[in-house]
Amino acid sequence: MKIFKFFISKIFLRKAILGISMILLLCMANYITFIAARSILSTFQGYQETKCINQEGNYIANLDPDSDIDIDAIGEDGTQVVYDYLNKNFNYAFYTDGFMASIPNINDMEISLSYMNEEYYKLNQFELSQGTDLDFDYQFDKEIPVLLGKGLSKTYPVGSTIKIEESVLDRPLTLKVQGILKQNAYHSNYYAPNSKTYYNFSILVPANEKFIHHANIDLQWNGLMDVTILETTKEKIADLSDVIEDNLGAKFNFFSQKENYDYFNEYYVHSLKIIAVITLALLVIITCLAIWNVLVSVRLMLKDFTINLLVGLSYSKLRKIFYSYFGILSFINLMVIFAFTASNRYGCWLRKDATFVTYGLFSLIGMDWLALLVVAFSDVVIGIIIVENMLREIKKVPISLGVLQ
Amino acid sequence: MTKIIDLKIKEKIYKSKKSQLSILNNFNLEVNTGEKIAIVGKSGAGKSSLLNIIGLLDRNYDGEYTLFGSQTDHLLTSELAQWRNQRIGFVLQESALIDSLTIEDNIKLPFLYAGSEKESLRQEAFETVTNAIEIKHILKKKPLECSGGEKARAVFARGIIMNPQIILADEPTASLDVENRERIVNLLFRMNKEFNTTIITVTHDLEIANCHDRVIHLERSK
Repeated sequence: MKIFKFFISKIFLRKAILGISMILLLCMANYITFIAARSILSTFQGYQETKCINQEGNYIANLDPDSDIDIDAIGEDGTQVVYDYLNKNFNYAFYTDGFMASIPNINDMEISLSYMNEEYYKLNQFELSQGTDLDFDYQFDKEIPVLLGKGLSKTYPVGSTIKIEESVLDRPLTLKVQGILKQNAYHSNYYAPNSKTYYNFSILVPANEKFIHHANIDLQWNGLMDVTILETTKEKIADLSDVIEDNLGAKFNFFSQKENYDYFNEYYVHSLKIIAVITLALLVIITCLAIWNVLVSVRLMLKDFTINLLVGLSYSKLRKIFYSYFGILSFINLMVIFAFTASNRYGCWLRKDATFVTYGLFSLIGMDWLALLVVAFSDVVIGIIIVENMLREIKKVPISLGVLQ
Repeated sequence: MTKIIDLKIKEKIYKSKKSQLSILNNFNLEVNTGEKIAIVGKSGAGKSSLLNIIGLLDRNYDGEYTLFGSQTDHLLTSELAQWRNQRIGFVLQESALIDSLTIEDNIKLPFLYAGSEKESLRQEAFETVTNAIEIKHILKKKPLECSGGEKARAVFARGIIMNPQIILADEPTASLDVENRERIVNLLFRMNKEFNTTIITVTHDLEIANCHDRVIHLERSK
């Protein structure tokens, strides 16, 4: 420890610019690794979630981007015809979210309401920390059983009721808390699996046929955008497309499992491969720059190292000193990345961004920690490369020459 | 008298990308405790290489080396470092100081690797050595603030601070004036006289070489 302190205070810090440039290079390497690792992990999570919907025989709706529609011309009669057709001919998973409501809670968050039908609920198998599963057989003029995110569980424990002026039905409703979702439960976008919203400040409302029937055009229309038709055939889907086009004037595409996988492979796997390759290339470049930086450092500090070797420092001790020094630099960088991530996550709390708020130590969630672990691992690899290069360079110069540098 | 060094070198090779140079071919050296030996020879003859081998700084040669009665090729690098710290003192040219440290810190550098035992004895040794070498007045200065003679004495002080059994001096007076040259040589010989320290000096200066018990001439390889 005494020797290490001596090296830090009397040798390394005397050439602070080299230490600072190493910190900056490592910071770049760590940030790139962190972002790439988290994107890949998030995409993988989204892909896993989508997999339960994206089964053989299922078709996921998507509004054709070329469809020329007049939203204002779409009326409830039209959407209702489509839903009647759906109810009569198909099993379908219905989900829509993003409907905000002001409900008093200790965190003073705007609450997001997410609506789903029984098929969707069954396919997603939401994990609960308290209470029981949703019940879809209810009368909405009485109490509607709902699930809450963890952030609302203190204000509204299981069994309590919430009275709201519900915008979708445009009438006051009484919601009864049936269960609490596990913390950081999320929903990924089907077509952008790395993009997710968190349910911590959401209410999951069961939407049965009657509910959808009485709901306003916003819920009906938004629900159709991502509706998943279950266990059906291409022919029946074609008929459904016609019905939608006839009644709503909008062209909907329904993508099969294979088409969804192809899309995923084409856009996401390919993008992830590019991200991985670019990250790796940048890491190699940064590592090379870091090696160049340490070789310059060695040249500038060679005399200091070799005089120490002359009076009793061994190469094994010098190796330990270098690894410890690099460990400290890596730790500083990890803390920077950690602080950056924590401030981002915490920023969601400050902005009251209900759909992005997360729970965890400093609000960090599993994929953040995993990505930090990947960063730590990459630092270990970079550290080994750099330290061994430093030692090789020092050993290359005879001590007697190094001393007289 | 005890044999302290028994060195048999078949050859030492320096390789470069284009060529290779073989030096110290079939070179044998036996040194007894308390001997003063000078090594002379032209540049490139292998004087400093020989000193590096004797001082355990270089084990990359073909040969056998017994130091203090132990075969050195069996020693771990940490043991070699410990011997360099406690049993071998290096006295080099005056530039062999760390510029960012004060003269005091430079002289005390070997203490850092000597463990925490006998710290009071070491402080005593430091006082004795700095008094004897007359460098008390520059202890708080940095090397760049000192004259060549003062720096040479500081390097000398660092070399003897652990009271080594062998002092290896590599051109210790190369860039000094006559007065400082004599001073350093006298200090070396005083160590030999008072502590029976073995002295091995590499020098170009024949006058200094002839003051030693033995002079070894190294020839450049053909």
